[in-house]
Amino acid sequence: MSRINEATLANGRKIPYVVTDNPPRGGMKYTYFAPDKSYVVQFFNDPSKVDINTRNRLEAIIGKYNPTIPSTSGGAIGTDERLASYFRKRFCWPTDIVIEPEFGLVSPAYPPNFFFGNNASDYIDLKGKDKKSNWFTSGNRRFLNKAELGDFRAMMQMSILLVRSIRRLHQAGLAHSDLSNNNVLIDPKSGNCVVIDIDSLVVPGLFPPEVAGTRGYIAPEVLATMELDRNDPKRRVPSSVTDLHALAVLIYEYLFFRHPLMGPKVFSTKSAEEDDFLGLGSMALFIENPNDTSNRPSSLTATIKDLGPHLEKLFLRAFVDGLHDPMRRPTAMEWERGLSRTWDLLHRCSDPSCSAGWFVLHDVHNPVCPFCGKRIKDKKIVRLKINSQVSGHPGQYRSYAELDAANNTPLFKWHTNSNIFPDEKADSSMQAYICCHNDEWYLINSKADALISPNGNPVLKGQAMKLYNGAVFRASDSDKGTLIEVSITDNI
Amino acid sequence: MSEFTRRLPVYLLLDVSGSMEGDPIEAVRQGVKALLSELRSDPQALETAYLSVITFNSSARQVCPLTELMLFEEPVINAGGATALGAALSLLSECIRTEVRKSTETQKGDWKPLVFLLTDGAPTDDWRSAAQELKSLRPANIIACAAGSCADTAVLKEITECVLLMNTLSAGDLAQFFAWVSSSVKMSSKSLDAKPGANIELPPPPQGFVIVP
Repeated sequence: MSRINEATLANGRKIPYVVTDNPPRGGMKYTYFAPDKSYVVQFFNDPSKVDINTRNRLEAIIGKYNPTIPSTSGGAIGTDERLASYFRKRFCWPTDIVIEPEFGLVSPAYPPNFFFGNNASDYIDLKGKDKKSNWFTSGNRRFLNKAELGDFRAMMQMSILLVRSIRRLHQAGLAHSDLSNNNVLIDPKSGNCVVIDIDSLVVPGLFPPEVAGTRGYIAPEVLATMELDRNDPKRRVPSSVTDLHALAVLIYEYLFFRHPLMGPKVFSTKSAEEDDFLGLGSMALFIENPNDTSNRPSSLTATIKDLGPHLEKLFLRAFVDGLHDPMRRPTAMEWERGLSRTWDLLHRCSDPSCSAGWFVLHDVHNPVCPFCGKRIKDKKIVRLKINSQVSGHPGQYRSYAELDAANNTPLFKWHTNSNIFPDEKADSSMQAYICCHNDEWYLINSKADALISPNGNPVLKGQAMKLYNGAVFRASDSDKGTLIEVSITDNI
Repeated sequence: MSEFTRRLPVYLLLDVSGSMEGDPIEAVRQGVKALLSELRSDPQALETAYLSVITFNSSARQVCPLTELMLFEEPVINAGGATALGAALSLLSECIRTEVRKSTETQKGDWKPLVFLLTDGAPTDDWRSAAQELKSLRPANIIACAAGSCADTAVLKEITECVLLMNTLSAGDLAQFFAWVSSSVKMSSKSLDAKPGANIELPPPPQGFVIVP
């Protein structure tokens, strides 16, 4: 049973939507679709909680804080069409306020790849259901067909895209405040993710929304102090540092398919509710805490150690040092950096039946996939150590990153120039690529302007340069050009 | 991975007395089918909710034990007989005692069960002591729905605070009831958190349903 209704927007425009029985309902709102499904109209479960603060917040979110429309059209400062179009893919950002028949909002519908298609599962009819993260990060994986599941590399890619989106929010002073597996849709098949439920953002200088948060993602300090009076200074409410807890939980779930705090430890035998309240709140304990193993499951296949030095450190900061000390949590930008550096260390597992497909090759002397336990079969492991020139000390270099090289591995501007970071603004066109031919390794210049070979000769576009163990070359002759050292290790 | 996942036990207590014969019982069958398919397509519900069905007419019977959603098999439901609500409530208490995991020093207990009771008439057996036990011990969050004008809401109020009145026993209303049960289970499986002992939050009842004060 459905009928078409009309919503009047704050700007006077009228748009149709389809009213259905039992519309999809979240913690705060319920949703109706446009007749052509191109947008959704959402109303609040409890209209009495909608006040002038809600409206002010939504106006700011749709207007001057909006990274999905260019600043020339009223969007966030510094946003051009290219950036706006990038973030339109990463956020489902509200576009309008509805004033009639009651207060609500309009958002774009999610792109089609975030809905399951025909052959998603042999067990459940999922066609048309949205791809909430925990289809892919829990035991529910077993009901999905293999083609839906993606691989470890896709999970890494989605982690990078997610932290970049959250970094963009935090950079503007915004906080999501209800980041959870329900509010991030992921498509491991294509390695994409989109952040939804943008309307509960915390906006600088405006009254924060009343968000309860989602079980498993609420920061421990918020849960531990939620019983306190609203005006009690000890009470902690959602903010960017609580986002950073939820963000770390999501990344951990994407990479390991388990929750970082839900282990075997029983915190209270009084009731499940009390046990959870303590175990996710004041007594929360990381399942991989190196100093206290009382919450550690008996069997853990891969652990944070297997993610290499960058991510291990970040997870320890998020779930050990910063679990109960919010200011010590890694920022979204630190996650972005750590994940990008780790991305460059990804190596394909040699076992075609390995479900992860890829792993972080952080120790070239022990190249074993932590997910299937098998040693890789590559004859040689080729690494490029990337150094930047120490500023003020020409000719002096410091190593800051490493790239695991396989046949066809691309080099981008952030590998050839130390001042470029792989973010949404960077030029992501390939500068050069690795080629393995007859067991010899080469670097082919595709569009780097000033690649110089180890013996000082320019390598022109289209030309190849041989790579050998110990070779050192300049990727660019500019000040910020990197110096690259090649290491080739025999494996078998 | 499921070894530390708490379960959310969901019990359906369905009146299958003679007055449900015909269209209503068919609507109940369809309702259970729709409920199952809705819950299976919600990742959180699929992970946490376990379902059991207890039917009652002249006696009460657990037609499906508490089972995870993917393994749940739809019960055969037929109408006929009296309304042994008391027997159903006693059976519910017993099922909760034996099926719901308690928290111990070494085991994560289940969430407090969610019970949906649907009845269209007045009980024909002794129900009072079983109702009192449920109301005082509160082993579950019980939502009772009185279907149609013959249902006795005063009796239901003796079992739980949360009583809904559905005006007719029509197929449409029954379908709406089951859809609402599925929204309620989905919502509970998401917001299981926060304050221990706080009231559970449920979606607003469908149009035409009244909350009995």
